[in-house]
Amino acid sequence: MSAPTKRHVPLLLGYNKTKAVARSGDKKARLNLTSMIDMFTILVVFLLKSYSAEGQLVTVSEALTLPKATSEQKVEMKLEIVINREAVVVDGDPVVQVNQQLLATGGPIPSLVTRLNDHMEYTRQMKGTITEDEQKINIQGDVAIPAILVQRVMASCSEAGYSLQNLEVIKEEGGRS
Amino acid sequence: MAQGATKRSHRKKHQAELDLLPVMNLFCVIIPFLLLSASFLEITTITMSQTQGINPNAGGAVTNLAKSEEERVQAKVVMTDEELFVGTAFGLTSVGSSFQVRDNGETYLTFDFDQLEQMAGEMRDTLMNHYDIEFRKIVVLTTETMRYENVIRAIDAVGKVGFTEPGLQVAPSASVEGEAERGLQ
Repeated sequence: MSAPTKRHVPLLLGYNKTKAVARSGDKKARLNLTSMIDMFTILVVFLLKSYSAEGQLVTVSEALTLPKATSEQKVEMKLEIVINREAVVVDGDPVVQVNQQLLATGGPIPSLVTRLNDHMEYTRQMKGTITEDEQKINIQGDVAIPAILVQRVMASCSEAGYSLQNLEVIKEEGGRS
Repeated sequence: MAQGATKRSHRKKHQAELDLLPVMNLFCVIIPFLLLSASFLEITTITMSQTQGINPNAGGAVTNLAKSEEERVQAKVVMTDEELFVGTAFGLTSVGSSFQVRDNGETYLTFDFDQLEQMAGEMRDTLMNHYDIEFRKIVVLTTETMRYENVIRAIDAVGKVGFTEPGLQVAPSASVEGEAERGLQ
């Protein structure tokens, strides 16, 4: 492979300048940043719009697909029940295994009621009293679970004193208040 | 006679240039920070009214203890495995039959919830004109095996038209179908 001729030497390296470059003086090559700034401005505006100073109060497990709805009611940080296809989980703790026997009947689930009662009692001891705020509970349900399971969990919540039940959903556009 | 160029015209025109590098630096810091803290999936909630347990006797899923005009009228959505209905304690109207959809390799039954929204809206307008009160409560009565997603979509559809206090009742298929048949008569 032959050595490059003078003509092929890069022009803007500072050394070995061609006559044309030498004549034009020491002009620096400049990038035109305007289009990049435009793009960044749009990106920043979009990200600022989706920025949440409050942070995400709830984390959704990977074994769970929440249904979508247009509700705009914000999530409050309350006791969390997760219902997936395998188990009913209270505060990260699996309490009931989902099986045919569980789905065959209605009404509250005794072991879940016990667990929720314990939690309610603990709250009562810690705070001295149970206000309406302490009676709220959040329920995350997988899209594919049968309605009877949701109904049984909700009935268990009512039995244990959690009378205000919030079903968590993924917000869909076209919302309502 | 053409005049020669003046001294002024020989001067080079200097364009003012903004130094955009600090702006770029700022953006390079802000964008990763915002990307990390942005939440693209927003989780919201639907507050449910008190549920009622399943009555083992057929047809006992709906109680009719009238406390107010609204509760006496009892707006409801009935979901059987085959059909979707909307109406009140005085009668039901069919919204449409169920149909199968395939999503992520899973096949399941669903309904036309846009049609439900439209019919529930018309029903609510009629009720409010007739009774002159605000109707917010509605009961979703469904079969035990109904997919949770369908329940939520029904609650959402009626919520869009003003029924913002939904309740859920679940009963065996025979009870729900019996309720639908009685409502259609």
